[in-house]
Amino acid sequence: MRRAIESDVCIIGSGITAAMVADRLARTTTAKIVVIEAGDETVPLAQRPAKRERFLRYGENPWGVDHLEGYEVEGPLQSRSMQVGGLAMHWGGVTPRFSPEDFKHRSMFGVGTDWPISYEDLDPFYQEAEELMGVAGEQGPRELDPRGKPFPMPLLPLTYNLELLKQWASSADIAMWSQPSAKNSVAYRGRPQCCRNDTCAPICPIGAKYSPDFTWTPLRRANRIRLVPRTLVRRLMLDASGKRISHAIAVDRDHPAQPVELHAKLFIVAGGYTWSSHLLLLSVQNAAPNGVANSSGLVGKYLAGHRNVQAYVDLPLRLYPGMNGEHSLVTKQFMRPTQGAKFIRHDLRVWESSVGKAPRLADDSGTLMLGDAILDDWRKRAQTGSARVRAYYDVIPDRASELTLDPTRKNQWGDPLPRLAFRDAPESVALRAETEDSIRSLFGKMVAAGNGKLLRTSVDNFQDHPAGGCRMGDDAASSVVDSWGRTHDHENLFVVGAPTSVSGGCANATLTFCALALRSAHEIERGLPRSARG
Amino acid sequence: MLSRRRFLASMAAAVPLASLARRAHAAALLHVSSEPATLDALAEAVLPSVLGRSGATRAAAAFRDWGANYHESAELLHGYGTSRLRSTGPTPLTRWTTQLDDLEAQAQTKQHRRFRDLSVADRTALVREALQGQRLDRMPSVADAGHVAVALLAHFYDSSAANDLCYDAQIGRLTCRPLSASSRKPLPLIKLRER
Repeated sequence: MRRAIESDVCIIGSGITAAMVADRLARTTTAKIVVIEAGDETVPLAQRPAKRERFLRYGENPWGVDHLEGYEVEGPLQSRSMQVGGLAMHWGGVTPRFSPEDFKHRSMFGVGTDWPISYEDLDPFYQEAEELMGVAGEQGPRELDPRGKPFPMPLLPLTYNLELLKQWASSADIAMWSQPSAKNSVAYRGRPQCCRNDTCAPICPIGAKYSPDFTWTPLRRANRIRLVPRTLVRRLMLDASGKRISHAIAVDRDHPAQPVELHAKLFIVAGGYTWSSHLLLLSVQNAAPNGVANSSGLVGKYLAGHRNVQAYVDLPLRLYPGMNGEHSLVTKQFMRPTQGAKFIRHDLRVWESSVGKAPRLADDSGTLMLGDAILDDWRKRAQTGSARVRAYYDVIPDRASELTLDPTRKNQWGDPLPRLAFRDAPESVALRAETEDSIRSLFGKMVAAGNGKLLRTSVDNFQDHPAGGCRMGDDAASSVVDSWGRTHDHENLFVVGAPTSVSGGCANATLTFCALALRSAHEIERGLPRSARG
Repeated sequence: MLSRRRFLASMAAAVPLASLARRAHAAALLHVSSEPATLDALAEAVLPSVLGRSGATRAAAAFRDWGANYHESAELLHGYGTSRLRSTGPTPLTRWTTQLDDLEAQAQTKQHRRFRDLSVADRTALVREALQGQRLDRMPSVADAGHVAVALLAHFYDSSAANDLCYDAQIGRLTCRPLSASSRKPLPLIKLRER
């Protein structure tokens, strides 16, 4: 016998963008909201200190059972995690905004695709997300770092190490400032001030870093939402017109023989860059032979992200590694090439590091050290400091940068798993070597300015902070959703957050995903039946 | 009296593998807990002398505690960019106890004395012999260390206390510290004293 769950709004996924939307709708409407999560409940805050301890001692995953069995996916899945709160339970809490140029690649540089919205359109939603999460930040130079209102919290103070490294960057004519972070520089909304435990990723033991459970817990306590864990949505089903979603079909992992039907006036897919497209593609039916919301054939296409070039530098500075290693300096100085210039843009950040300064067992000649020799050797090498520098650079996504259904791998309910493949657009392929050389050259300039020594440089081929798959646009033929996240094909189906991104920018993108989701929430609340409005 | 090795061997023949692993871990734990002197003496030989005997003993106790609380087949933190899951391996405690027994046996054979009764120089020499042929450059993780002496070193040097000792500063890496103090140069370390 089937089980039905009725609501006004059904949110699929319980990650950070789902939390943003639910919070907004719960505050501004009286809509009955149901949130469906395939994974388990997350680890309660009270258990996190002990979980962190085991992570530090043994490397154990501190998040309990946070994945579904059998989900070995081909391709670079960002994380296997699937639980209440999603990947943002173990994010680093780094929250830079995109820059205005990120939204205008085509019109400014003649590459990629312009977003249907501008930075100015998104600014109030960035602010709303920052206030909801609690972001501590420092206003950068306004021409590089525009914002309508101040950060909700003062900056995370720079450590003694970062102050010295900031001076070093300045000597190379680079102005850097404190990286904005969803970590409390002061007590905020019942959560404590950060105390530099320095394991923000994967786990903050005290709740000073925002994670979605801090939104879900009060909403559940107040009965403003119903969150249903361990329930995997398998299909979105269309009504007879093919224009609306009538219901969703799910499986309760505890009672798999009893199908679950989710009935709602509005469906919001908030499953991140992988599981959102995956669900739409799985929802093949007569009226949607290529999956739901896929008349353009673009569901799963244009997966976006960015690569980074990274280096470790030995500097003649007495640094003290361990003061707050997860916090960094940042600059947007290289994100703003002039209009018409080559499309080479990247961020830049600097951290303290212990690379080259770690204790070791053998000296330079390979002789084993024991007793005092190890400490003496370590102390000698620690007389100078080291820094990590990293630049994320833009990658224009290709149409063939895609998520498809894998015909060879199925989950335990017989549904194909996703297959992921990231590909650069031809213009990015053409610029890759020059971009990476340009960044290496910048690193070289920094090394010289600090009388330092380059320890090593690397390029990470993994496209970080992935997004896309249901990109937004004004034209239904070249996009999946409109600028609000509403699917072009189905009036009561929204996709929010990461999948709607047109491009990946060159900075951590979670805050942007949240801002996009909140912008969607504003549109959704306008469309709710009057009786359900707050 | 049944030796520890023969005891483990007899267990291997009698019980299923998972159960055997648990029992072997328990037996090894009992061994290092009931006979702490060899490990304590090893710590005094391989850890920095500034710790003194009491500091080395505390470091050895912390290391024993690490081993005692090790969980086999525990899920490790997920990798980034992959869906592959990884788990912790078999308990290292069993091989560590064997290696401690070997050090003890070598001391008896070569010096006709207990390992704990040898001078630090003689203990260090036996450790060097035991580590011959092993690839040793960077400090491994504790669980990956091929020898108990290296594991003990890895455990100590991974600690916040060791980091402070190196920099002679109260950094307190990975501990909860006031945010407001982060902008200041860390205060010098108070000299270690024998307790």
